[in-house]
Amino acid sequence: MSAPATVPPPTQPHERGTGSASERVTTTAPTVVGDGTSARSRARSRWRRVVWPLAVLVTLALVAVLIVVLRPATSTTPLAPDNPEGAGSRALAQILADQGVDVRYVRTSGQAVAAAREGTTLLLAGSYLLMDEQVEDLASTEADLVLLEAESWHIHELTDGAVDLGYATGTGEVDASCDDPDAQAAGSIDSDGYGLTALSPDVELCFLNGDTPLTGAYASVEADGRRVVVIDDSTLFMNARLAEDGNAALALRTLGRHDSLVWYVPSINDLGGEAGTSAGAVLPAWAGPVSLQLLVLALALALWQGRALGRVVTEPLPVTVRAVEATLGRGRLYRRARSRGHAAAALRAGMARRGAARLGLPRSAGAPEVIDGLARATGRSTEQVAHLLYGPPPTDDDGLLALARQLDELESEVHRT
Amino acid sequence: MAITWRAVALTALGVVAVLLVPVTAMVVGWTVLVVLLCGVDVALAASPREVAVSRAVPGAVRLTEQARSTLTLTNRSRRRLRAVVRDAWQPSAGAGPNRHAVDVRPGEATRVRTALVPTRRGDRRADRVTIRSFGPMRLAARQVSLQVPGRLRVLPEFASRRHLPSRLARLRELDGRTAVQVRGAGTEFDSLREYVIGDDVRSIDWRATARRSEVVVRTWRPERDRRVMIVLDTSRTSAARIGDLPRIDASMEAALLLSALASRAGDRVDLIAFDRRVRAQVAGASGPRLLPALADALAPIDPALVETDWPGVVSAIQQRLSQRALVVLLTSLEPAAVESGLLPVLAPLAKDHMVVLASVADPEVAALRAQRASSAEVYDAAAAERTELERAAVTVRLRQRGVEVVDALPDDLAPRLADTYLALKAAGRL
Repeated sequence: MSAPATVPPPTQPHERGTGSASERVTTTAPTVVGDGTSARSRARSRWRRVVWPLAVLVTLALVAVLIVVLRPATSTTPLAPDNPEGAGSRALAQILADQGVDVRYVRTSGQAVAAAREGTTLLLAGSYLLMDEQVEDLASTEADLVLLEAESWHIHELTDGAVDLGYATGTGEVDASCDDPDAQAAGSIDSDGYGLTALSPDVELCFLNGDTPLTGAYASVEADGRRVVVIDDSTLFMNARLAEDGNAALALRTLGRHDSLVWYVPSINDLGGEAGTSAGAVLPAWAGPVSLQLLVLALALALWQGRALGRVVTEPLPVTVRAVEATLGRGRLYRRARSRGHAAAALRAGMARRGAARLGLPRSAGAPEVIDGLARATGRSTEQVAHLLYGPPPTDDDGLLALARQLDELESEVHRT
Repeated sequence: MAITWRAVALTALGVVAVLLVPVTAMVVGWTVLVVLLCGVDVALAASPREVAVSRAVPGAVRLTEQARSTLTLTNRSRRRLRAVVRDAWQPSAGAGPNRHAVDVRPGEATRVRTALVPTRRGDRRADRVTIRSFGPMRLAARQVSLQVPGRLRVLPEFASRRHLPSRLARLRELDGRTAVQVRGAGTEFDSLREYVIGDDVRSIDWRATARRSEVVVRTWRPERDRRVMIVLDTSRTSAARIGDLPRIDASMEAALLLSALASRAGDRVDLIAFDRRVRAQVAGASGPRLLPALADALAPIDPALVETDWPGVVSAIQQRLSQRALVVLLTSLEPAAVESGLLPVLAPLAKDHMVVLASVADPEVAALRAQRASSAEVYDAAAAERTELERAAVTVRLRQRGVEVVDALPDDLAPRLADTYLALKAAGRL
């Protein structure tokens, strides 16, 4: 099929006014059919366009999977049972596990409360991240508690006010000097904590501080039918210090009392609530599919709006600078250099030139003739005119402004004659 | 491949369906349904690659005038073509609504027209023609962008043509066609005629009077068949913007008005556009062919960011001129450029020819010079004053070498240059 006769009736060449160049010849370009591609070439070019981004994405995904798979099951959380560093407690957890204690590591208070049944030990390693509700939840469990470096009011809450934090400083290695079998087994320890004080006669206070009387590093009390052990210094349980003094004996005996140990290290992301509570449980059943459908809808919207009807056309712009830029630049130079002399000279010379031209003086006229002429034309004294045109340069910006205005005034008077 | 709002609406209906049957399988099922329908629609759409497209554009149009780009679309497929066609142009081509809905049966053709009101001089080019062909359900479409070349040459506006009638009237006065005879020194002898009261007594031809019984005067007419050489400087100084337009546009206006006037006055007009090489030239065109040739030559010229090669300009002029001529340099009176470039090579040119330098002045400098509101503004005013002093000094030096200088604001340059031409013609200095 050949191209149809598509030339519209040519507009008549007409000359407007003076007959300038307005060629009204209509040109017809050759007919274009298709963009010269076939289904196969399009597929190939599409593949070529997509292959590199695809390769990058696949590589990224592979690397991510490898990182997840090969990552050692360790952490850097202080006192965590999977942290092999100095501040971790993996050594302690592994020894306990070897001895047949079931160590369960939890990060939320919900999990801790759920796991802490009667006949288990609940280790609370550091309590400053806990909220009051979480501490109340922990207090309501029936498990034995071991509090490591807990906050004063948390100790108060969990021991029914029997133990409080003291305000002592460490004094080096001290002996157990009490009847608690665990403390006696440990022999001596060296605590750097603040020390603990007993507020109730039921409390067994051990490792008494030599400098501050009635303050010890270890307290145990039977509260609400369970045993609560408070230790003021968490570093005793860390990998770095576990082998020192009687630390290992103290730690293993306090945590290994029962077959089951819940190892709770509070997390900053935990806001309390029951174990296993997630957003999904509170939403209705249709929420999942509907949000999935909304996701598909968003995708469809993106596809609809994302496909442009042809490419964006750009404009090749000419480089055009404002002609006045050079003059403005010079003005800024005058200003920055505070070059009042140059500025005043320019203003004066310009005024003198225009004044002389208006008076009909020749270009070659010298200063005295210009001054005389202007004085006659304005009725001012020659001294005044001479001072204005050839006086000393102004010393400050206000002087320059005043000079400019006086020159304007003089010029306007010349104009009047 | 593209989808339409209908496909999106269909997907949105899926939300209702999922609310009724809230299971994930429903989501998957609905999505598969939408994708299938879109696929069927695309498969049933006429192929945009089987559409024959041809374009018709006027060859040239004057700036601010309207042109039309016409696309003819012939459906060569066996399916009905329902499509949106976009005729894309450069932004400065000033295309109006350029998306057209078409519905073409197999084997038929249709035309779509896009109005163009160019906003810039020069060659404006068409970009791609995009055809989006929808399926019968209008859920999805096939799309292709075709390269259908098209060029619209936008000629200088020649707004200064409104000054032409008054200048032509003055030219006729010079020419002796009207009753008033304007005399100038050195004009050509035309004829003898009877003395009428009011004629200059100095023009009485006593010898002819003695032969006849009445008093006879000589009449003159201005010289004809002189040469006018217009040199358009396209270097960096012409790129500077004054108001909204670069200097070169005002220079072009002046060149067009002068050419129109000079060709009516019977002079031959040549033009070269020059920076470091000849960018465009018009030689030997006369009569009604001159202005179209000039406009066509000037239209695509943009200033280049280089310094003018003035010795090159002078030798190019001398190559083209054998007799005395009027040489009009359309450049800018920039002190540094003129002092270092033009002045040293001007002497031989000014000796052989009448040289006029026409420059576009900047109204912003004058406004800057008058401001007095604060001390900071006074520094700017002083700088503007200094600029004008330097221009004045350069003007004096040019005049000392016998060069006429026309320094005028962009809108005034064309009439002022025409007036200068008329004055020179009247004075017989061509």
